[in-house]
Amino acid sequence: MNKSLIIDWAYFLSTSDNYQATKKFFYNLLENDKYKYKKYFDAFMITLILISVVILIREVKSHVNDFLLFFNNFVISIIFLIEYLLRLWVSSSVSEMIIKQHEHDTMLGMKFNSFAAFKKVAKVKLAYISSVRAIIDLLAIIPFFHQLRLLRIFILFRVFKLFRYARSFQTFTSVISTKKFEFLTLLMFSSIVIFVSSVLIYVMEANNPDSPIDTLYEAFYWSIVTISTVGYGDITPATDEGRLVAMFVITAGIAVLAFTTSLVVSAFTEKLDEIRETKSIDDLRKLDEFYLICGYQNITKELVKKLSKNNKLIIIDEDKSRVEQAHKDGFNAFNYDPGSAESYRKLHINLNTQVKAVLCMMEDDVENVYTALTVRSLDKEVMILSLLMNKINRKKLLFAGVNEILFPQELVGLIAKEFVGKPVAFEVIHALRSEYTNVNIEEVIITDKMLENLEFVKDLDNTKYRLVLLGLYQKKGEDFIFNPPGNTLLEQGDYLVLIGNSVFLKEFEKYLYMRKK
Amino acid sequence: MKISALIFGYNDYTSQIAKNVSYKYEDIAVFKQKNDKSRDEFKDFQVETFDLSDDWSDLELHHDISNSVAFCVLEDDAQNIFLTISLRAAFEKLTIIALSKNKESAEKLTMAGANKVIPLVQTTALMIAEMLDKPIVTNVLHNILYEKSSLKVAQVKIEKPECFLKENGDIKYPSEIDWSEEYSVLVLSIIDKDGNNAFIYSSQSKHHPIEKGDLFVVVGYENDIENFEKLIGGDRCQ
Repeated sequence: MNKSLIIDWAYFLSTSDNYQATKKFFYNLLENDKYKYKKYFDAFMITLILISVVILIREVKSHVNDFLLFFNNFVISIIFLIEYLLRLWVSSSVSEMIIKQHEHDTMLGMKFNSFAAFKKVAKVKLAYISSVRAIIDLLAIIPFFHQLRLLRIFILFRVFKLFRYARSFQTFTSVISTKKFEFLTLLMFSSIVIFVSSVLIYVMEANNPDSPIDTLYEAFYWSIVTISTVGYGDITPATDEGRLVAMFVITAGIAVLAFTTSLVVSAFTEKLDEIRETKSIDDLRKLDEFYLICGYQNITKELVKKLSKNNKLIIIDEDKSRVEQAHKDGFNAFNYDPGSAESYRKLHINLNTQVKAVLCMMEDDVENVYTALTVRSLDKEVMILSLLMNKINRKKLLFAGVNEILFPQELVGLIAKEFVGKPVAFEVIHALRSEYTNVNIEEVIITDKMLENLEFVKDLDNTKYRLVLLGLYQKKGEDFIFNPPGNTLLEQGDYLVLIGNSVFLKEFEKYLYMRKK
Repeated sequence: MKISALIFGYNDYTSQIAKNVSYKYEDIAVFKQKNDKSRDEFKDFQVETFDLSDDWSDLELHHDISNSVAFCVLEDDAQNIFLTISLRAAFEKLTIIALSKNKESAEKLTMAGANKVIPLVQTTALMIAEMLDKPIVTNVLHNILYEKSSLKVAQVKIEKPECFLKENGDIKYPSEIDWSEEYSVLVLSIIDKDGNNAFIYSSQSKHHPIEKGDLFVVVGYENDIENFEKLIGGDRCQ
């Protein structure tokens, strides 16, 4: 009966939307660095810790307001207790473990073994409780027992608790943990040196009345102070034999210090790229409205120079040397395969909300088709533009879901056509497109703010700004009207295509906003 | 002698150029190197074999060099530069259009005597950047330039500046005329008889009365441009 109740309860919890949503919310708040509200929670907890420490320091020599003491000893401690229990709750799922055990037993045709299930639950929860972080969390609650003055020292665990919220410390520990074996060897070596030197110095000095070393504790203290190269000088050997031991410990101390420094430095050097990439991926998550460029080859190098002036760009390429080149050129690049869906997941790129367009810029049709297919499989809407290197692959790119194709060979043909047909007109249009002349062609979107002061094309006054109105692109009907008549109605979302001096173009756009009816 | 398009190179660029310039040149000669394998797409063209060490003086026997145009589109930049310099050394008046893969070879091709260099990488990058930054402008210009809409861009030579007389008998300045209202065309720029190019509203063209021999770059519908040409008595310069 009880067993059946336990199973029902476990299934109820694992299928309850409210329960799962609540648990997920607390998990995100406490453990998920990518959750947008976690930083506010962390900031709140850090503030509580700092308040707590300030009160403790103040309390050492001065009287602290009773309300503050109450706040410190009860309110903060209870908040920490709730946090501790919540972390224990979200660290693993009891209901899932029970269900798993039930399914396992049912499959083997056995009765549900509730003991095995609870053993597993206890093991998992105890593993969490005995983790360093959980122990610090628990000890940070202890100052709650204010009356036990000795236990107040546990307030220091509240300071340690800060590390839970400091990402840089977590990075530091993860880097150092990569050299676990080397640090362990170093620890063993220094422990042996400390032990041997403590014993030796005790044996040599303890019976000498002039020596300050009388006990093994003092010998141990002297060894640690010496090996760490701190050398306070409060305890010094008085005998020649003792000085010999000191020389040995000092030499060993230099070796230990040098070894430790080199270990930390090498650990960071090896992990530097990874740390940098983690930081870049974090920044990437916050970015929106960027062009995702797949491949950093010749055309991309030129393209990014032009696009980077007004746009945010992210480059991904599976070739490490090309990514390094992109970094050297000052761009945000990642060494990931653009043809793999996993890359987009690892980089946390939301193609739908963050990306303006995906540019398949590899100078190889096979790779561009593959990338386009991958992107399209992840998002049906995002715009994809691709290079085409061989005309026989045009259909394949279209089939893969590419919206716009640029075929350099065709472009050369069209340029040749225009150049031999109308060389002067070609040069004029080319000059308009070029950024090196003062005269430009620009598109200006009609906004609702502009429409407060404008109604028809004749209201524009573009000639006052020495601008040629080439035409009007109407959003409704997606139609381009060349040289539109003065009585053409302007609507929100329409585009004016204007030619003129770039300074006047900017002034004119401002004028459209400021113009009085 | 024939006015020809001489295309040096045997690749995808060759086929695209041949396809696009065939409306202007009846005679298209494709030149391939000895090692190039035959391709079906060139079976309708006259294909000749050449070597970079050839003496090009024979070309003059079959083609009107002064009015012909040469396209140097060899895959190898060094060979393309060598070919350009060879052609320029042989024919001072030949119009040479060359394709370059990068900026460095573009400069060398200009030094080698090419009249026009198409820097492939830069042009492609510019095109993509424009497609993304100014999609409407790019689409409109693309349609006008490459005649995919009824809008055209044309060069019109002024033969009768007296069409633009003021009441006092003086000739008008270009910026004084409402081109779109009076002629249904838009004048983008004016190239005077000395070859100076100026935007219609620039201070340069504000102080330049319309003269015989001026070239106007106009945009408009085919019929409107034709009417404009008839009115000013000039022929469209093609």
